[in-house]
Amino acid sequence: MTFLNAILLAGGAAFLIPLLIHLLNKRRVQTVRWGAMHLLQEVLRQRKRKLNIEQWLLLAVRIAIPIVLALCLARPVLTALRSLGIGKTSLVMMLDDSFSMRAPAPGGSPAEQARLDVGHVLDAQPNGSDAQIVLAGGNARRLLDQSTSTLDIIPKQLAEKTNQAGPVKINEALQTAAASLSKAPNGARELAILSDFQASDWQSVADGAALPALDNLLKQDPKPQVTFYRLTSDLTENLSIASAELSALVVAEGQPIGLRVRIQNHGKRPWQDVAVHLEADGARLRTSRVSLPPEGEAVISFTHAFDKVGDHSLGVRLEGDSFPDDNAFYSVVQVRNQLNVLLVDGDPSTEPLGGAADFLELALTPYQSAKADLKDLIRTTKVDARRLREDDYRGKEIIILADVDRLQGNRLSELEKFVKGGGGLIVFTGPHCDLDWYNREFYKKGDGLLPTSIKGLLRAQSSTAPARVLQQRLTHPATVYFNDARGGRLQDAEFQSWLEFDAPKDANVKPLLQLDRGTPLFIEKSYEQGRVILAATTADAEWSNLPLQPFFVPLMQRLVTYLATQNSLTAWDLVGEPLRMVLPKSRLGVEYTLRDPTGQTSTIKVKADGEEALLESLPITAPGIYKLTQGNTTQLLAYNLDPTESDLTPLPAEKVKQLAERHNAAFVESFDAWQKLDRTRRHGSELWQPFLIGLLVLLFFEVLLQQRIARG
Amino acid sequence: MATLSSILEAEDITSLQSLQLFARTVVEGFTTGQHASPHKGFSVEFRQHRPYVQGDDIRRLDWKIFGRADRFYIREFDEETNLRATIVLDASGSMNYRGQKGVQKFDYARKLAAAMAYLLMSQQDAVGLITFDSKIREFIPNRTRITHLHHVLETLVKTEPGKDTALAPVLESLAQRLKRRGLVILISDFFDDATAIMRAIGVLRKKGHEIIAMQLWDRDELDFPFGQWSRFENLENSEDTLLLDPAAVRLRYMEVLKNFQEQLKEGFRKHQVDYLSLPTDESHSSALRSYLALRMR
Repeated sequence: MTFLNAILLAGGAAFLIPLLIHLLNKRRVQTVRWGAMHLLQEVLRQRKRKLNIEQWLLLAVRIAIPIVLALCLARPVLTALRSLGIGKTSLVMMLDDSFSMRAPAPGGSPAEQARLDVGHVLDAQPNGSDAQIVLAGGNARRLLDQSTSTLDIIPKQLAEKTNQAGPVKINEALQTAAASLSKAPNGARELAILSDFQASDWQSVADGAALPALDNLLKQDPKPQVTFYRLTSDLTENLSIASAELSALVVAEGQPIGLRVRIQNHGKRPWQDVAVHLEADGARLRTSRVSLPPEGEAVISFTHAFDKVGDHSLGVRLEGDSFPDDNAFYSVVQVRNQLNVLLVDGDPSTEPLGGAADFLELALTPYQSAKADLKDLIRTTKVDARRLREDDYRGKEIIILADVDRLQGNRLSELEKFVKGGGGLIVFTGPHCDLDWYNREFYKKGDGLLPTSIKGLLRAQSSTAPARVLQQRLTHPATVYFNDARGGRLQDAEFQSWLEFDAPKDANVKPLLQLDRGTPLFIEKSYEQGRVILAATTADAEWSNLPLQPFFVPLMQRLVTYLATQNSLTAWDLVGEPLRMVLPKSRLGVEYTLRDPTGQTSTIKVKADGEEALLESLPITAPGIYKLTQGNTTQLLAYNLDPTESDLTPLPAEKVKQLAERHNAAFVESFDAWQKLDRTRRHGSELWQPFLIGLLVLLFFEVLLQQRIARG
Repeated sequence: MATLSSILEAEDITSLQSLQLFARTVVEGFTTGQHASPHKGFSVEFRQHRPYVQGDDIRRLDWKIFGRADRFYIREFDEETNLRATIVLDASGSMNYRGQKGVQKFDYARKLAAAMAYLLMSQQDAVGLITFDSKIREFIPNRTRITHLHHVLETLVKTEPGKDTALAPVLESLAQRLKRRGLVILISDFFDDATAIMRAIGVLRKKGHEIIAMQLWDRDELDFPFGQWSRFENLENSEDTLLLDPAAVRLRYMEVLKNFQEQLKEGFRKHQVDYLSLPTDESHSSALRSYLALRMR
């Protein structure tokens, strides 16, 4: 407890007056030689003890009155933290630097407000306090390696941040904050969560989802004070590119590539004729216009063919709304001369589409098969499995085994070498496969190429429906295209027979597609530099009608291009993630130059990462096309904002307040409110009102007590 | 040898001479004159005339002298009465209280007893004196001789209050010792258990004694005027003390006092005892006058 008018506390010494009067009265006791003792005894009979207590109580009340009066006049303030040795504070600010914080507002975007307020808050900290900022957008990270008591460097560091990170991973960010707080040197610890409390990030928490990281943080001793600091923009009208999909990851020169763009209207007003521009290699190619209903979306498709081999940027940009930062989409298209694929047919046939790899050949080279003028990206070479030679592997990027019973001679070891060196392998099974050999030699208890061992063959009974692809949200780069029904309905394929796999023992093994019988249809494993995909079905129509489905062509094309580009970069990535490339060991120590969209460059050195060499940049902070150069080679990289950040709808203040209350935290919406709260925490609540009430009660009680004693 | 003047002021003596004590009820030994007596055959001899003073019974006016001289004279007889009056004086410690006005209760009582004795003797009544505290200390039987008065006064002068009060047993033993019915004048503060007192009074009354109870109060005992913290030390037992804030208990004290007085009054009324509450700051004569007025009803 502290006092605003501490000097008036001296008035409390007035308590001595009643005490002295009492003591003097007792010391100056007169002796009365008294006759009517029996009357006095009657007076005191049964009352003596009570009277004594009342006398003492009366004295206590009389002593308390001047003390309480002095306390009241001295304006006491409750300092809950004083007991912790306060003054200095360890403050961690969990600052939402997600993209939504950039939404424009008359008084500055929430990000700008946050920067200002962080400055003010830091200025208001007592000398000797230390602070740390946890940037909560995307992958939570600390602004400084460790908290600092040189508080003025924080705003400077913060000014360099762009606030274009992805959604706040609340628990992860709170864990980072808790880790910082746990090392705080000062007893008084505070956590401020500065955010726009975007509904897409916080709704589930506001609806009651647990925040274990915050609960754990609040268990720290001493308990940190938590404040939810809400910063908002009034802007809710916003157009954004919700998603964009390329029809292929890799295309041949002159081969058209499709770009399907979904544009979202997050606001409540309709938009007419919104211009959407297609841009390739930085040049605007053409413009389409779309209309958007309130809170609706529109899909627009473009195609473009690049005529030069190499990396090309392809993007769209829309115009019209007041928050243009999320109006662009960037991607990188790899244009290749061709991809060489070896098809190893385990059951060749002279009949059209009678061989095990015939459907594959057709799907991978559709233009060639159709004798069209257009050029196929993929060039296939088909060989009979029984005549497979080492030379057949040479010059190939992908090898596909179709119903091969077993590999003879050294073909298996040569194949392993091929994959280790970065080649891609797809294994379609079939009735000719020697499953024992597959498990023994091909799987080799996990050391072989196969992602998992094969349990056996399953068949759909005549009475039961055939197996189908499980309907689920697809996340694998090779299959994500099929989330949209316009890419084809995977569930149309029917499987009469399929192989059941054992549960994979390696965490590196992931299924691409699942059958509705609980077993994977395609399962993938990375094998040193290369990757292997194992299919539970045949590549021909023997076990299923998969090859007869329209989506078989894009599916196979995507599987092949995925395997062929596995060591190059994806078409685009999200801002906030670092650039990561696994390279051959020979590249260790090589320096790459990364040039960001604004033209600034940074140098990244390839470093060792276990058995591999890794090229890793700092997290990418801005969307756009980046150039990665080493010697004469330049690769393009595209980074986009997380589209969920474009829905600017914040949680209502009331909800944030409730959320704060649920976690025993305070809630503020401005620096003034923070200051008041901070003052209350630091200096405590003014207590003169309760003291005044206490004084009045004491006065009343004194009168009451005196009357009671006088009445006997 | 003690003289009346050593106890009473001269003006008191003069004043008291004009006072008459009248018995209200028939008491054994009352024969003629002012006292109606059940015993017949006693001679009544005229002694003197004296001027009428206010308060004298007009039945005793000598109308013949009035006819001749046009003045009021009262006829006095030598053997007008043979009332046996016993003054019972409380000499317990509590009577030793000397109030803030400087009057000692026992001193006041002693003077009152002397006045009573003088009055009674001057009426030819047989006066006895008993002093007591927890028991009877002095017992002077009833006599009418004038020398007897000196004996009474001498005893009064010698007596000093001291020990505990035990009024009830004293009264009970008195009932045993007073063989003949008479008037018992109790001068005390009656600081004892009221119930026990009344029981003893009842015994006395049953024996046919008429009783006059004169309760003495110091003004302090009535008003309890003490302000500062005080240690009240029992006059009858110095080890019995009470330390208290008098202001804090005053109201309660007044209540208890009132109850005690009520209890006594009620008891005396029940036993047909004349009761007089006498503060010591009032003069003896005015106290007696108010008593006589009461007796004249």
